[in-house]
Order: sequence, then structure tokens, then C-alpha cells
Amino acid sequence: MATKDMYKSRSRIIQGVFIMAAVLLVLSALNIQVIDPEYRERAQATTVNKYTLYPSRGLIYDRNGKLLVINNAIYDLKVVYKQLDPGMDTMHLCQILNIDRKTFEKNIKPNFRSVRYSQSVPFVFMSKISARTCAALQEVLYKFPGFSLQLRNVRGYPHQNAAHVLGYLSEVNSEQIKASDGKYQGGDYIGSTGLEAYYEEELRGRKGTKFILKDNLGRSVGPFKGGAQDSAAVSGLDLISSLDIDLQAYGESLLKNKKGSIVAIEPKTGEVLAMVSAPAYDPNLLTINRDRGKAYSYLLQDSLKPFLDRSIMAEYPPGSIFKTLVALAGMEEGTMTANTGHACSGGYLYNGTVRGCHNHAAPYNVEIALEHSCNTYFFQEFRKLVDQNGFYNPEPGLDAFVDYCYQFGLGQPLGIDLPNESDGNVPTTDYYDRLYPKDKGSWKSPTIMSVGIGQGEIQMTTLQMANLSAIIANRGYYYVPHLVRGFRPASVQIAPRFREKKQVPVSPSYYPAIVDGMRRVVRTGTAALVNIPDIEICGKTGTSQNPHGKDHSVFFAFAPKDNPKIAIAVYVEHGIWGASYAAPIASLMIEKYLKGDIAEDRIAMENEMRDADLIADNP
Amino acid sequence: MSNRNVASGLKNLDWITLSLYLSLVAIGWLMIYAVSYEEGQGFTEIVFSLDNIVGKQTMFIGVSLTMLLLLLFIDWNFWRTFAYLIYAVTIIMLFLVLIIGKEINNATSWFAIAGFTLQPSEFAKLGTCLAMSAYLSTYSTQISNLKSQVTAIGLFLLPIILILMQPDAGSALVFTSFLIVLFREGFNANVYILGISVTVVSVLGLVFNPVYILFGLALLAILAMVNFQKRKKLYWLLGFLTYVVLGISAMTQGLEIPVLAITGVVLVGMTYLQYQGRRRDIIKPMYFLLVVAGFFAVASNYTFNKLPRHQQDRLNVWLQPSKADPRGALYNVIQSKNTIGSGGLQGKGFLEGTMTKLNYVPEQSTDFIFCTVGEEQGFVGTVGIVGLFLLFLLRITVIAERQRADFSRYYAYSFAGILFVHFFVNIGMTMGLVPVIGIPLPFISYGGSSILAFTMMTGILLSLDSNRLTA
Repeated sequence: MATKDMYKSRSRIIQGVFIMAAVLLVLSALNIQVIDPEYRERAQATTVNKYTLYPSRGLIYDRNGKLLVINNAIYDLKVVYKQLDPGMDTMHLCQILNIDRKTFEKNIKPNFRSVRYSQSVPFVFMSKISARTCAALQEVLYKFPGFSLQLRNVRGYPHQNAAHVLGYLSEVNSEQIKASDGKYQGGDYIGSTGLEAYYEEELRGRKGTKFILKDNLGRSVGPFKGGAQDSAAVSGLDLISSLDIDLQAYGESLLKNKKGSIVAIEPKTGEVLAMVSAPAYDPNLLTINRDRGKAYSYLLQDSLKPFLDRSIMAEYPPGSIFKTLVALAGMEEGTMTANTGHACSGGYLYNGTVRGCHNHAAPYNVEIALEHSCNTYFFQEFRKLVDQNGFYNPEPGLDAFVDYCYQFGLGQPLGIDLPNESDGNVPTTDYYDRLYPKDKGSWKSPTIMSVGIGQGEIQMTTLQMANLSAIIANRGYYYVPHLVRGFRPASVQIAPRFREKKQVPVSPSYYPAIVDGMRRVVRTGTAALVNIPDIEICGKTGTSQNPHGKDHSVFFAFAPKDNPKIAIAVYVEHGIWGASYAAPIASLMIEKYLKGDIAEDRIAMENEMRDADLIADNP
Repeated sequence: MSNRNVASGLKNLDWITLSLYLSLVAIGWLMIYAVSYEEGQGFTEIVFSLDNIVGKQTMFIGVSLTMLLLLLFIDWNFWRTFAYLIYAVTIIMLFLVLIIGKEINNATSWFAIAGFTLQPSEFAKLGTCLAMSAYLSTYSTQISNLKSQVTAIGLFLLPIILILMQPDAGSALVFTSFLIVLFREGFNANVYILGISVTVVSVLGLVFNPVYILFGLALLAILAMVNFQKRKKLYWLLGFLTYVVLGISAMTQGLEIPVLAITGVVLVGMTYLQYQGRRRDIIKPMYFLLVVAGFFAVASNYTFNKLPRHQQDRLNVWLQPSKADPRGALYNVIQSKNTIGSGGLQGKGFLEGTMTKLNYVPEQSTDFIFCTVGEEQGFVGTVGIVGLFLLFLLRITVIAERQRADFSRYYAYSFAGILFVHFFVNIGMTMGLVPVIGIPLPFISYGGSSILAFTMMTGILLSLDSNRLTA
């Protein structure tokens, strides 16, 4: 039946073709499955969404447990370009988000050539979407494959106070990202000023990651590998601030329509009770939302510089409050005693010029000199201090004095837990050599004696003034002023440097005279007006000479005299006399803090302070 | 007589083929189970419900196995006797489907019967196998005879035309596999060489500028003639290489046409030298090949540029993925390759294929079922499946060669050809090796018509083979 088979050998060729084809398929599979990792990686990238879990940032409380900073929800709308449905209802989406088509086109197509973006990795399409818009969007999100919402926390402030202390958040910039070793990614928020910046590490917490499987339409279907590669976010530490928000708010109300600052410290601990800088702003303005940019540039352009924290960044001549330090240094150096007296004829005549003083009783001891803030007295005492090695050799005397200043925390940042603290200025011998460079020794004690009454080259921050008050209140020591009281959980301690007692090298025996002098100031002296019968306030007025306009009003104080609970410094720009604004404000703050309420008969003063507008008068 | 046949049939049954068949069907069922498996579903709930494809496929396999058993009991002479009739019936079905068929995915390829669909083109393969075998084994058929050639080609061209009218280009393409049996039985080998060359040149013409292809062809011709230079052959070769390097660098500088023109002149010069020499006889066939290949290169490029956009896309997806739109035409192939690639060496494990489960792969229970193999069983599984198919194909050729009856041998090769095209095109397509052509993977893909038709073809082969000694 079979015919002669001439082509039997061709069966080998056919078998060969079958084998070749199979080998080709196997080689191709070898490449795709084993050799080239690209396919595996792309598969992973398309099937798995990596979500960053943002930790909730630590909250901030005041010393009485009142919430100062909370977290509010805001959303980022993210998109994976490759999962977009080309036929989606773009107009609908634009309508919900309240953007125009152009913005949509721009946001949906960032520069994919840049390494920051990939067509298969989610990127932020629109950020800072409010919870309300988000709710509307959530309902229709299924119509827009590729889009997803990511919850972010932004700050909210139940009170409108303490903006400078609390600070605000901003998006990280590229340098911060580079320097952070992967901790930050584009779009993350970072503390920019205030406590938010200083305690960024503690407040931030740690990010987590979640890998979610998604189907071909970009819908999440469950955890990847059962969540084995996921890591939870760790919340930041809550910060308990030393601020008393009621006192803070009260201080801000008193400084309304003024430029100036108030710093109140608890002397026993160095904890800052209130830290007011005026003009201030409502911290809610700078919370992260879509209107923030406008608010920010508005505040930035304000000629009154509301961003400037005048309590630690502004430097002023302290005025007569500095006399306390001159006296303490003089007594410790032995150039004077508490009973040193001088005559004052309403001025200090030197080399033909008279430096004015006021009309007051004769300063036969340091208490009375302080009570009446006698310039003549302190010119002479300061000169004695500087000239203790001879008139023609003022350097050692000044060096000794400068050293006291340093020991009292002047001339350098005190080290409060806020960024950008100024150091003030303590004029040294070098400083004067540079200022009077004709030849060495061209300056003598009379050249620089205005420092003795807190004018001229000496400059302090309000914080340094309050700290000086705290040192006198403590009769010779202080703790570095700080705004942190603790953290939650409490296992995290505040920095040890805030618990370290700093002794000032002036014998405790010299303080009573100064304290008594300061008590006299309030009881019968320059600030007698603000005396409160049942609180023993010790204070000292100051008038800081201002060559550009009206003098500045200064007052520092502590109370009660024994076992002081509060040390305070008040600086009111253009307030002229210490007694005119700074002293009443300080006394009101003290009364408020110690008693909780303002006495009936002082309400008038309170109103007067509140209503005074020194900005309109001194633009 | 019938009893004797059955007895000898079972005695001589090729258990290797049967085992390969059963393995592939079992693997196919598992893969379909993996595709449609969803967590929380009970096993019986899936397998015995006709609401999902696993249940349906289970039924199809049951029907197929019954059919296989039935075929083993049918007298083997039946197939030869009724070959043309069966062919005629399947051809009529192809006609009818065009008229009363159900349109799915823009193709009228199915009969809808009682909730099930029947794809006549699957059975036309069987019919054509039988008819081709019957025709070739007729005494009057001489494969060297033009009339016989035309008739043989006509036998599979008729279903091709009918299926193209559905239109279902993939299924139509499968019928070209009958060229394999024709080759085995002595069809002019030069025709195959020419055909393969033309295909290769045409494909190259799609990718490259025809100017480069013409340049390359001319260089090949020159090289052939340089080879005939007996004296100072080394200098000739060096000169040739220098010319190639200079020519290519000039072309990259935009001097394509001048270089091509100079190459033409060189070619003519070489031809003259060749003409002076001893081997004049090569000139004619060489120029014939040159002209034909050049024509197809230019023509395919020209035709490609005239094609509608979506057809260009299909070819681009295959040949130049970088030119295709990843979200459009390329999407299927990218997802398919990613899915297979994600399996790695070992695979993710049975039922662990996330990409298939999450519907990234299109047509994953039918045309792209191989993705599930690749993803869940990895390279090991891929090699396993390819290996099983290769063994199956080789086994068929072995069976073919041991037949005494020509009909049986023809049939075996026809079946091998059909199976081969399905196997290579389907798996190749999922890996981007060949263009996306929608044909199922035999025994594995979901679909009643496909598994039934391939089971019948296998069954007939087994039946014929088990009676090989009776002939």
C-alpha cells in the first residue's frame, strides 16, 4: 500500500524545526524570567503601590495641660500616570477640585524626564486639599483610576497666641532633603521656626511604609505579601511647654498696637512662662492650606515685621535696669559697698559737659541710688570699676566687668530652645580699641561711662533682661531659660543643660541691697505707680535712649520679694519712661500670674495699657 | 472485525502520546482553576458550577475524554472513508457561521447553541487534516505535479478564505501549517527557501529603511563574487571590508543614496569580472534572488506605511516596541511579558499569581493562559510546558514515520503542523516573540471547541497508530 518514500530524511528537518522553535521559546523565557530583572521590577511597580504612612506629629501643650498645637487632616491627591483612564471626565474632577483645565493639564504631566517623577510611581497631583473637598472627591474617586488620596497632618492652633514661640511648618527644601539622609522626601513638612523647628526631631516621629496590591484599574485589593514588608509609623513625642498660655495671651493683649516684648521666667527653674513679641500674628494664618502663601507674603511685607521675635532677636540698650549689674559687679570687685554714697546735683559734670540726672533725694547708699535711678551715682561707680587699676589703665577693669556680664548671660545667646537667638552686645576692650582706633588707650572710663547706666554700646535681648532679673531674684544663680517642660511619654527627658544650675560669681551677701533697692523702686521710687499692696514686687525701670525717635520704655522685676515665683522683663518701643508702659505692663503680668485676676482698682491701668496705641503715634 | 480492531487498538495504543495528552489537559485545567480562583471560594463550589469557567472547562474535558474513548472504538478506516465528507461538513459549517453565526469581539466565528458557543474553525482543522491526508494518499496524486500541488493548496486555502471572512486572521494563519506536511512529502524545497527568505526580507523591510537592505543585499552579492577571486584573495577581502566600513559611515552621515549608487556600480563591475571568470552560472540565480528580495524589502516597507494605523501598531508592538504606544497596542504584550517575567526562576507558586489574579493580563484564560504558567510556575514551569509540547510534537513525528499507511503518516504530519503553529505562535506571542495573534494554546486554554477539536485530532492519531500493523 505504501508508496516509495523518497523524502524520509525531511522528517529530520521538521523535527529540527520543532526543536529550534522550542529552544527559541525557552531562551526567550530565560531572558524574561531569569536574566533580565526589568520585567520583574516593572511587574512589581505596576502591581504594588508603595504608600508612605505619615506619623502624627507630636502635639504641644502648655504648662497647665492646655493644648497649644493640634493636628488637622489635609489631603494630597496623588496620581499614577500609567493607570489613568484616557476617557475620564476631566471636567468633573476639575470642578470638584476647583481648578481649571490648564492647571489640570500642567499637574497631570510633570517632567517625566526628571528623576523625581515616573509614569508608574504615584506623584502628588495636587496637595493641601481640605477635608471637605476630600469628602466630595472620595465619593467619585472610583471614576478616576490612578488617583488616590493621601492623608497628611497639618497644624491647628486652638489659641491665637504664642505664634513666635510655637513656630510653623513648611515644606522641606531640596537642601534639607539632601542633608536628611532619606528622612525627608519632597513635599514633607518640617518645623521652620520656633519650637517646631528646635524640637523637629522629637516632634516628627518616624514614617512607616505600606505596600498595597492593586489590580489593573489601580484599585487596592489588599496588602502585599500579607504586609510582611510593611512598617508602622511612629508618632512624634508630645511636647509640654513651660508657657502659661493664659499669661501669654494676657501679655499679648497688653502689647497690642505696640512694638515690644515681654519675657517672664520662673526663676527657680528657668522655665519661660510667657514670651510675647508684638506685633504678633495668629498662628492659624500659617497653618498649611491653600491660602497660606498669601498670608505668608502679607506678613512678610508688613513694615512692622511681625515675623521678628523681638524677645530674642531684637537687641536694645537695657537702660537703667543695667545699674543693678553695675552695682553687683562693683561690690564683688570691692570698688563699692552697699553703703557707698555720692552726691548728686541733678547731673554729672565731667570735663565741662553735664550728663543729666533727675531731681531726687541724695543717693547715700546703693538702695536709694537704685530707687531714684541716679545716673550720677552709677557713672561714678562704673568709672571706679573700670579705673580700679588706674585711670590710664582701664583695660583690666573693663575686662573684669565684661567677665561679670558674660557670667550673667550677656553678650552671647543664653541658649534658649528656640532658633535664632541673638547674642546682644557687651563692649569689650577690643571693641573699644576698634571703635577708637587712633592709638591704643585713646579711650578711658569717661569715654565709655554711659555703659554704666545701660546706654550706649551695651545691648541686651529681652530674654537676657528677664534672666538678669531671675538671677537677682535667685540671689545669684540661674537656669538656662527654656520653653520645654517635658515630653510625653515622660521617659524622654529634657536636655540636661536645662537642669544645670549656673552660679554667678557674686557673693550672695551683696544681693539684699540690690533687692531692697528694687523693692524701693516699686514701693516709693520711679515705679511707685505700679505698687500692689499685697505683692512685694521688686523692679527697676529703664529708659533706653533711642536716637531714631522716642525712647524705649523698659522694666524688669520679680515677685514676690522672698521666694520669687516670676521674673519678668518688659520692653516697649517708643514707650519713653520705664514707668509709663513697661512697669505697668510688668506689674499686671505679675498680678495676673500670681493672683489670676487684676484687682478692681487696677482695671483702669489695665485698660489704659491695652488701649494705648504706640504704633499709630510712632509709625 | 470490529472486535478484533478494538482489541488490537488497545493493545497497540501509544501510551506516551496519551500520557502527554492527559498531562497537558490536567495542567490546563489547573491553570484555568488558578486564573479564576478567588480566595474564600470552596473547591466544589468552583468545580461543579457551570457559572464559572472552571466548571465549564471541567465539563468540556469530560466531554472530550468521552469523545476520546469513543474514537478509540471507531474503526480506523472510517476516517479515510469519510475524510472528504467530514471536510465538506466543516466547510459548510464555515459557510453557515458567516450567515447565522454569533458575533463576538467583531468576529462572526461562533454558533450559539443552548448557552454554549461552538467555533467551527476549530473543527475545520480536523476536517482539513483528514481531507489533506486522503487527497495526498490517493494514487493519482503526484506532489511533483502542478495540478496536485494546486489542489492540495486549495484544500487548506478554502478554509483560510472562509475564516478570513469572519474575520479571524489568527485561526486562518494556522492552516498554513499544512505546508509542513507538503514539505515532508516532497514539495519543492526551493519554494520554502524562497518563501522564508522573502518573509525575512519583508520583516526586515518593516524595520529598516529599504535603502539599507538593498545596500546589504548588494554587499552580500559582492561578497559572494569576491569569494570567487582566486588570486590575492586576502587583498580582495580587505578591500571589501574597507568598502563596507566606509560605506556604512558615509550612510550614517546622510549619504545613503550616493553610497547605494556607487555600490550598484561596484556590483556591476564585480559582475563583469565574474563574467570573465569560470563560474558564470551563479550570476543568474544570484541576480534573481537579489531582485526578488529587493522587491519585497521595498514593497513591504511601502505597504507598511500605507497600512491603517492600528495595523501598523500591531506590527510595531512586535518589531519595534519603542515606537508603539505603551498604553494602547503595546499594553497587552507589556503586561504579558511583565507577568511572565515576574515569575522568575521558580514562580510564585500555584494560586499565588498576583498579576493574573488582578486582571493585568488580557484574555488570560484563553489566548494568554501561558502567562499564568509563567507567573506561578516560573522558568521551571515554562520549560516544563514547552518541553511537554516538544515531546508531543516529536512523538507525533515518530508515530508518523512508523506508519505503513500513507494516510496515517500524512494525517500525523498535518496534525503535528497544526499543533506546532498553535504552540509556537501562542507561547511566542505572550513573550513578544511573534506578533499578537489570537489563537489558543492547545489542551491548556479555556474553550470547549478548542479542547474538543484537539482531543479528536489526538484520538484519531491514536486510533490510526494503534492499527498501524493492520494496514
